[in-house]
Amino acid sequence: MIAGVSTEFNPPGPEDFQLPPIFSGVEWFTKPVLVAALSVIVIIWFFWGASRKAEVVPSKLQFAGELGYNFVRNSIARDAIGSQEHMKYVPFLLGLFFFILLNNVAASIPFIQFPTFSHIGWAYAAAALSWIIYNAVGIKKKGLLGYFKHQTMPAGVPGWLMPLMIPIEFISNILVRPVSLSLRLFANMFAGHILLLVFVLGGEYMLLHSGSIALGGVGILTLLMGLAIAGLELFVQCIQAYIFVVLTAQYIGSAIADEH
Amino acid sequence: MSQQSDPKPTPDTSGDGWRVLSYLIGGVLVYGGIGFGLDRWLGTQFLLPVGIVLGAGLTILMLHFRYGRS
Repeated sequence: MIAGVSTEFNPPGPEDFQLPPIFSGVEWFTKPVLVAALSVIVIIWFFWGASRKAEVVPSKLQFAGELGYNFVRNSIARDAIGSQEHMKYVPFLLGLFFFILLNNVAASIPFIQFPTFSHIGWAYAAAALSWIIYNAVGIKKKGLLGYFKHQTMPAGVPGWLMPLMIPIEFISNILVRPVSLSLRLFANMFAGHILLLVFVLGGEYMLLHSGSIALGGVGILTLLMGLAIAGLELFVQCIQAYIFVVLTAQYIGSAIADEH
Repeated sequence: MSQQSDPKPTPDTSGDGWRVLSYLIGGVLVYGGIGFGLDRWLGTQFLLPVGIVLGAGLTILMLHFRYGRS
């Protein structure tokens, strides 16, 4: 650790997200695939275990499962879709919420530490799923033409403004919604992960490889700051899972609503 | 499954901000896109910014009708 000999610092970038396949030769089986598969197993185990032996006085597992179920059913589905029709969509919203939540929080679990949705394809797929579902239930309820009219005619706008508003409403409801849904999730996970990489790798480099005592002190501060960022990220991961599912529920609710 | 009957008096507004954002993007996208296309077609330079401002303005007007008068 003599000044001048230290190797150059390589800042983290998008290439840090391109992980090699876990088994060489099986190209598709990468870390995000493994994390997603694990999350599905954990979710099935959790809810199966929570509901298998349901009792009036719940076990700890059953209590936790009911807490999660009640949260999605009451605070997300019923508030956004309405008490008449929300039960049909609770299984989908519950599964979606816990899938996104676990895959986001995976970024903060030691030894896993990778957010699945920082690969944009996963975010596109999740948003495509909600896009298909909210359009399908709308078309099923109102018919193709009725649904199209419902999603292009904004309520409360005077008639003479309508021709100018129809393209905005259409693009916003059909195109911008799924894109913003996926980009919001992807960008938050990607940026959060790269922020952590910057703080941890930068702090480690300044502490161990810079060869300067002053920079070493800054490195310690940077690592402490990285710890704080990790806490913030945990918060962001939960919020992103929540907002994704709340918006999906609201899109379903507005697709089947009688009027805006 | 048993508590379907309790009504919810106020509609959920927690996602309204995000929906307003998607309207603003949509408006700018549509009218900015029309301006961009007209610029390409007519060989002019000024219609893209005009379209962007017009789209943002129309969207704000629509949000006023949609959310502003409760």
